Amino acid sequence: MSNLRTEEFDINMGPHHPSTHGVCRLLLTMDGEKVVKVVPYIGYLHRAIEKICENRTYAMCIPILDRFEYVTAMSCNYVFSLAAERLSGIEVPERAEYLRVIMLELNRIASHLIFFGTTAMDIGALTPFLYALREREYIMDLFEMTCGQRLTYNYIRVGGVSKDIPNEFTPKCRETVATISDKVEEYKRLLNGNPIWKMRTIGVGKLDADLALAYGVSGPILRASGVDYDLRRDDPYSIYDRFDYNIPIYQNGDVYDRYMIRLDEIQESCKIVAQALDQIEDGPIRAKVSPNFKPAAGETYTRIENSRGEMGVYLVSDGTKKPFRVKARGGSYPHLQLLPEIATNCMIADLVAIFASFDVILPEVDR
Amino acid sequence: MNNEELKAYIESHYGSQLTYNEAGKYDLLFEVDASNLVTVCEKLKNDSELLFDYFCNLSGADTTERFEAIYNLASTKKKIRLDIKVILPHENPVVNSVQTIWPAANWYEREMWELYGIHINNHDNLTRFLLHDEWDEGFPMRKDWDAPDFIRFPDL
Amino acid sequence: MGIIKKLPVYSEKIPGGGIVTTSVEQVLNFAQAKSLWYLLFGTACCAIELMCTGASRYDFDRLGMIFRASPRQADLIIAAGTITKKMAPRLRTLYDQMAEPRYVIAMGGCTIKGGPFYYDSYSVEKGIEHIIPVDVFIPGCPPRPESLLEGCITLQKQIQQRKLGDWQEK
Ligand code: SF4
Repeated sequence: MSNLRTEEFDINMGPHHPSTHGVCRLLLTMDGEKVVKVVPYIGYLHRAIEKICENRTYAMCIPILDRFEYVTAMSCNYVFSLAAERLSGIEVPERAEYLRVIMLELNRIASHLIFFGTTAMDIGALTPFLYALREREYIMDLFEMTCGQRLTYNYIRVGGVSKDIPNEFTPKCRETVATISDKVEEYKRLLNGNPIWKMRTIGVGKLDADLALAYGVSGPILRASGVDYDLRRDDPYSIYDRFDYNIPIYQNGDVYDRYMIRLDEIQESCKIVAQALDQIEDGPIRAKVSPNFKPAAGETYTRIENSRGEMGVYLVSDGTKKPFRVKARGGSYPHLQLLPEIATNCMIADLVAIFASFDVILPEVDR
Repeated sequence: MNNEELKAYIESHYGSQLTYNEAGKYDLLFEVDASNLVTVCEKLKNDSELLFDYFCNLSGADTTERFEAIYNLASTKKKIRLDIKVILPHENPVVNSVQTIWPAANWYEREMWELYGIHINNHDNLTRFLLHDEWDEGFPMRKDWDAPDFIRFPDL
Repeated sequence: MGIIKKLPVYSEKIPGGGIVTTSVEQVLNFAQAKSLWYLLFGTACCAIELMCTGASRYDFDRLGMIFRASPRQADLIIAAGTITKKMAPRLRTLYDQMAEPRYVIAMGGCTIKGGPFYYDSYSVEKGIEHIIPVDVFIPGCPPRPESLLEGCITLQKQIQQRKLGDWQEK
């Protein structure tokens, strides 16, 4: 019996497929239900963001880069502003740094909530999606209160932030992070004991540390494989050294660990936000920066820890008011590149679970 | 290791191949000759003081007189960063692939080939993937690129 | 009761029960307008707002809108997100696979005229109107869930005013 074989066939998953989180096409070669070969095709959302940025002033680049990674648009604002600040040596006021950290961490929570909802939905559980998006709306309320937008914020600007938080923000934010921190426990109760969930996730899609590093994997996925590397601590930026938080590490590198690490990170982020709210003091929120400001000629690659891994911007200035070159690097790009390595020879249903656990979003890949 | 020490270390050990470039702000930037790229990268990765095991990013750039390829490297064990720049001529830019050292470089190189037209030697899969399949209008990220339906932003 | 009020309903008390009379047109339109199943077609940022609208707080289901993963079961495409030149033929294919009557809502600036990617972009389709016919445009970048709901209600109104046979021409 063992030498009986079925005929191989090709199947197209995407570009429009509900579990590809956007528009990614995977060309699968299948042997029955087993995946023999995976070839990702990208570019269905290639919007030429880098080309557009070359023809805008620095201030105008920020809303364009919002669309580069819309689930955590604050990070995109931040990484570009940070790069421009490093080129020109602008000092950011204290209060602005705190506001930035609060917003970045809130955005990280929102993004991980989306991960939690969509991953569970891809694996077949609809309820977590409704739970997670319910909590995410509270964070959207906070953002709306501050900058008026729910998704593409344009809030963090070169030299500071665009607006101060309103008075009712602080109590509402405290309440929100406390609720979310509790709710995460509820999520864990909801899924972790579920035998189907365990069978679908534990031991599936194992990624070992060496392979992960070779492929440039970063963020929660790298830490779920046992590599202790977090840019907030290891390539310090902003004021993260003033807070007391843990960096969760898991060892197995399977889908389950990648899911658990994100839930833990939500709780850590809640801690950071609460501490930042305690420490923040009054003061100016923006350094004086002219709208047509021209950084000194030079170049820098700036990177921060985003919810999907390392987000970087390679920024070249030639001393004029427009950037000479902007290259945006998203965390998902190497993750998608890695997919064929670990998804070969698994079942097609597991492929969906692995893909979901990578939390790939396509604008970051295609730009 | 901080930036000063790293700079001193690289200048003493790699001085013949890597030349310091002060355009790099915040992180160190070194220039390397295109022919030396692969050997230098290999050494940087295996040097026990540096261990550049992590490939952050690769970007191309077009200065209208020449092309540049910038490799951003990091070490997860030593927590250091380094940028390497390769300068290529505007006619027939060719650079060797580093994907045997860091498999992560594969897609970045493919993208650079597609958008800038910088050819990559020894690349295993140099095919189009960002632009659509029937694309025949050249390399859109070049500064002098133009097309009939390309609408430029009004001058600022 | 609110639903019944909108229909021209005549009921009489006759022994043994009530009779409701209405026209075929109105029944058909009513049924179609109140059960618009939409195709999950999200390409970019607007898709996140589409997801939010479908989830807990805004709750699409109360308009009778349930997402479908297959175009063959859907009545409506909500084109949420940027359509690039590479994606455009796929959008057309999906539209062609849907059964008549079919509707299209263009959500967000990108689907109207290219949005923020109108200038300087070599790969973005400047609006979807020349790919597929659009019934309702919703401006915004991204539109808020409320505007999306408003857009869907507008579409429902349009459907209810339709004459029998209108959709066959489309
Ligand atoms: S309209 Fe705006 S939010 Fe919507 S897809 Fe386009 S850029 Fe994104």
